[in-house]
Amino acid sequence: MSVVALSELLGASVRDASGAVRGRVREIAVAPQDHPTRIAFLIVKTPDGERALPPASIASAGASVRTGSDASEWERFTPSDGLLLLKRDLLDQQIIDIHGRKVVRVNDVELESTPVNSHLLLNILAVDVGARGAIRRLSKGVVPSFTLRALLEKIPPRVIPWQFVDLLETDPARRVKLKIAYGGLAKLHPADIADIVEDLPPAEREAVFETIDEEVAAETLEEIDPDIQVSIVESLDKDRAADIVEEMDPAAAADLLDELDEKQSVEILSEMQPDERREVTHLLEFGEHTAARWMTTAFVAVPETAVVDDAIDALKTFEGSREALATIYLTGPGNKLVGSVPLVTIAVSSPAVQLSELSEPYRACAPDTPESEVAALFDKYNLLTLPVTDEHERIAGIITADDVITMLRHRS
Amino acid sequence: MATLKTWRTRAALFIAVVGPGFITANVDNDAGGIWTYSVAGAQFGYTLLWVMIPTTVALVVVQEMASRMGAATGKGLSDLIREEFGFRVTFLLMLALIVTNFGNVMAEFAGVASSLQLFHIPKYVSVPVAAAIVWLLVVQGTYSSVEKIFLVASGFYVCYIVAGVLAHPDWRAAAFATVTRPQEVGIRDYGYLYMVIGLVGTTIAPWMQFYLQASVVEKGVTMRQYRASRWDVIVGCFFAAIVAWFIIVACAATLHTAGTTQIRDAADAAEALRPLAGEYAYLLFAAGLFNASLFAASILPISTSYAVCEGLGFESGLDKKFHEAPVFYWLYTLIIVVGAGVLLIPRFPLAHIMVLSQVVNGVVLPFVLIFMLLLVNDRELMGAHVNSRWFNAIAWLTVGVMIALTLAMFVTQL
Repeated sequence: MSVVALSELLGASVRDASGAVRGRVREIAVAPQDHPTRIAFLIVKTPDGERALPPASIASAGASVRTGSDASEWERFTPSDGLLLLKRDLLDQQIIDIHGRKVVRVNDVELESTPVNSHLLLNILAVDVGARGAIRRLSKGVVPSFTLRALLEKIPPRVIPWQFVDLLETDPARRVKLKIAYGGLAKLHPADIADIVEDLPPAEREAVFETIDEEVAAETLEEIDPDIQVSIVESLDKDRAADIVEEMDPAAAADLLDELDEKQSVEILSEMQPDERREVTHLLEFGEHTAARWMTTAFVAVPETAVVDDAIDALKTFEGSREALATIYLTGPGNKLVGSVPLVTIAVSSPAVQLSELSEPYRACAPDTPESEVAALFDKYNLLTLPVTDEHERIAGIITADDVITMLRHRS
Repeated sequence: MATLKTWRTRAALFIAVVGPGFITANVDNDAGGIWTYSVAGAQFGYTLLWVMIPTTVALVVVQEMASRMGAATGKGLSDLIREEFGFRVTFLLMLALIVTNFGNVMAEFAGVASSLQLFHIPKYVSVPVAAAIVWLLVVQGTYSSVEKIFLVASGFYVCYIVAGVLAHPDWRAAAFATVTRPQEVGIRDYGYLYMVIGLVGTTIAPWMQFYLQASVVEKGVTMRQYRASRWDVIVGCFFAAIVAWFIIVACAATLHTAGTTQIRDAADAAEALRPLAGEYAYLLFAAGLFNASLFAASILPISTSYAVCEGLGFESGLDKKFHEAPVFYWLYTLIIVVGAGVLLIPRFPLAHIMVLSQVVNGVVLPFVLIFMLLLVNDRELMGAHVNSRWFNAIAWLTVGVMIALTLAMFVTQL
């Protein structure tokens, strides 16, 4: 087994069984439909047109490629959309480095060549993003190849194993054919995906958002810079945009729709599920920098007559964020907010105690309270959560300390 | 009501994309540019004003392509060159860009030094302080705040327009010389021809294309807002040309009329203006030079680091920390420190280095322009936004003339 670089193979002379040069390597193709990493064939430029030369008929590959067959037996090459062409699609292009969580540019591609019987098996091993690939390409044809190899040995490699590489492809049809699904990317934390997406050109951003799972897309979108958010949503088709916005936190969705122009925002809303749409349109009625726009409607509220055990049951079935669990709210007649119990108190109390006995004084604010006052309340009373109540003193939602951190970061 | 609303949306759209084109065109009127315009006015009076119209057209044509490529692809020029023409070409081009911009940065700091010497500030104070300001401005600021500062700096070029008015030129003669065919007498004159080449040659530089396209991308302009972006380029180019026109006119009305035709640098022009155009014109000219030099000195190093790091695949961007993008920050710092530092070395052969950087400039420019034309006509890249046939004809003609003139300038300087 040995490693051969794509840049070494490109332009290499191809010899037939008799040892005569019959052409030069122009491209290297992978057919992801058949095998994700195996080289399907080398595209060889001969005086008589382009030929597809599968590794099965190659005896050795390096600065020169030797075959065991006659040039007349090589199959004619026919271009196809479903082929990944390493020079065109990979070399010098940007890819996503899943392991390093960033966008990088490919300097070279390392291929693994394994002799099997009398021929070779070629596989993509890794992409080179470091100095080794750069120097190899700069000095190719200038420095003799054996000197170059010795020199390159001394440079520490900076490679990304192929399984940690996600390719960028803007054409949806080709993405399907090449089986590009951003599987690796989608496993990262949404905040990391957001950082990567922000580094991409607009068409590539759109490609990622068209492809990844809606839930991941929604969480990622929440983390992205507002200007870029808008340009991504504008570029997606309305169906897809609505699917993603539905999965977003209603407050974040409302902020986003507010930034879009009215026609687009209405179009997206009309594509959404009725429940989610109602929630978001309700939030949109409040001004942009108010408490209502930061609140989440997923919180835990139980009747004041309930006991600790009931509260624990409510926690078990709760599906909202962990931050929202910090306080359990108590409601009285007419669903009015009457008290609050910190999670800690529940954890240390016996199961049969009535919650009203544990209740502590609470602060609440109206939906149209300005952001700055909300932040001031959190600061003054050291709050973890703050309920937002309507004119009938019913809880409409809660704001968490985490939301306030985001709010303050946005303002500065 | 409806028209008011569309007018308001249009205005909002324009404000959202304005900046890159306006800034780039104005930075073009840097210390070297101001010197060239001053000499042109002092030596040849109004007779070179006709050059301004074709020059403006050439500037608009080239800048429009850079800005359109940025909006259509969302990628910088060095990214596109790397993706389409490979690593080796990009590497050599970036190396050349560093050399030529390095020379340009020295010229800008020299401009800062000589303009502040007029206010009796020694260069051993002005240059280090200016370098520190430039470094901090870009590293500490965000793109949008820095851009606002740059836009304000562009506005300061009005200094030259006022200075031009204070010089009390013969408006009728100046206007006439701008729109008429050049006089035949001058064409055979070697000095005159050299000056024509100089005027056109300072107008389009390689770094501008990289800077403009990168800032269009950074601003997130897409083809949807592109109409406004095109206006940004056109307005910027015209404003820059008008400023240049006033500098020529100011020097023509005073220095040429008085027979002062030898000017060593731009600060020298300001000094020569003093007894002829008065104290205010002198102050405005000197202040304008300081602004122009500092402005260009702020933009060149950062735009070089961006272009080089993006083309060669190093981490780049001001949102990264120093240790995350070491090459980017080191290159940026080095260009400033060395570019400003050499001016403090006694008897440094500044003139030779500047000529060398102009030569490299001349060698690099044809490649950049040809790469741009190939890229902008690549349908796979630009889709429907490739050059139209007539635009292409003008563009190739412009590029051809630019290359011929730059090569001519390069030959005369050898």
